[in-house]
Amino acid sequence: MLDRESTFADPDIIQLLQNELVPVAIDQAYQRRQKDAEGDFYRKIAGKGPRGDGSNGGTTQGLYIAAPDGTYLGYSNHRSPERIKQLIRKGLSGTASGNTSLIEQGKKDLRYSPIPPKGGLTVRVQAKVLGGYPATEDQWKKIFQTSLSRDNLWLTALEHQAILKGTIPNRVQRRIARFHLVDNTRGEPPMWKEDEIEKIEMEIKNGVLTGFARLKTGNGSRGYDCQFYGVVESEDGQMTRFDIVAKGDFWGNGPYTKGAPKGKFPLGISFRLADGSDVADGIPPQGSRGWIQGYLR
Amino acid sequence: MKPFVMIIAAWFGLGIGADGSRPISLMAQELDQATFLELHNQLNASPEAPWRTIPWKISLLEAQQEAAQSGKPIFIWAMDGHPLGCT
Repeated sequence: MLDRESTFADPDIIQLLQNELVPVAIDQAYQRRQKDAEGDFYRKIAGKGPRGDGSNGGTTQGLYIAAPDGTYLGYSNHRSPERIKQLIRKGLSGTASGNTSLIEQGKKDLRYSPIPPKGGLTVRVQAKVLGGYPATEDQWKKIFQTSLSRDNLWLTALEHQAILKGTIPNRVQRRIARFHLVDNTRGEPPMWKEDEIEKIEMEIKNGVLTGFARLKTGNGSRGYDCQFYGVVESEDGQMTRFDIVAKGDFWGNGPYTKGAPKGKFPLGISFRLADGSDVADGIPPQGSRGWIQGYLR
Repeated sequence: MKPFVMIIAAWFGLGIGADGSRPISLMAQELDQATFLELHNQLNASPEAPWRTIPWKISLLEAQQEAAQSGKPIFIWAMDGHPLGCT
């Protein structure tokens, strides 16, 4: 979140990434583990960096520059635009011209290459804290306070068909509750446990979706009471609109989402069909990380 | 709200939490067609946000293939959780 609005908002860095480099964004928790050509290529690069190739189980996160053949050219874990420009300049000067072979995909390690269910749907999910923060002049806090998060909800073909018939299957309601009614605006959020769903009801009447949910941890330190309202439309057996909003009172935070407003604060979450126009439409749901079967069950 | 009133309200299904959280039946009045549309539009990322104008790829091998063909170095943004999603 902070990187998006600081490092990657710098005009010089944007220009360099648009024209002089090939930028790629990854969740390295996949690449450092996957046993296939992509995993091998990533570990070849990361292994030369200060964090190693992840074989010790530790994170390899950061910013890397590599030549097309995987030769390591530099690393940084800073978000200062000046530091990143230095890294880029070093990478550009260290890239030798010459022919490089294309690495073939070969057999994918499917444990770390989840794809959306065939015949199903990808739905964009975006959340924002709508109030409750104290005023601040701190530029980093401002980024958190105004941030709009992004994740994807996956629906299977059978779930897609059920919704077309006017029903939100219970498993979909619980997937939405557990993995998507979260405050992920300041970092990676804790997902809800099954028994933290106190109530959830969603129904569709004449194309209008309404409902509510109440989630709460066992000790009550974190929770969300929200209402749903939305519009669901279809044409020729295909969903054409799945526009929903959840709005309500959230409270509490998680280990990586510190700094929430005190007490209860309004949190809004939107859902809309992904159309593939945004590269982030291809990202697996955060809640499916390493556990796609559990996410979709 | 007095305890007695809260108990009666909960008994009649108004959904008032024991912790004093707002009744779901009252929250339901906050979202209607107009407020839904306004909020749905508000909760939608602008494609013009600067970081979104960068031509990110999400496949490292696709990036390698383009780099091999263009001779450009690869810039990898590797995070815990996907940098373009997750948060």
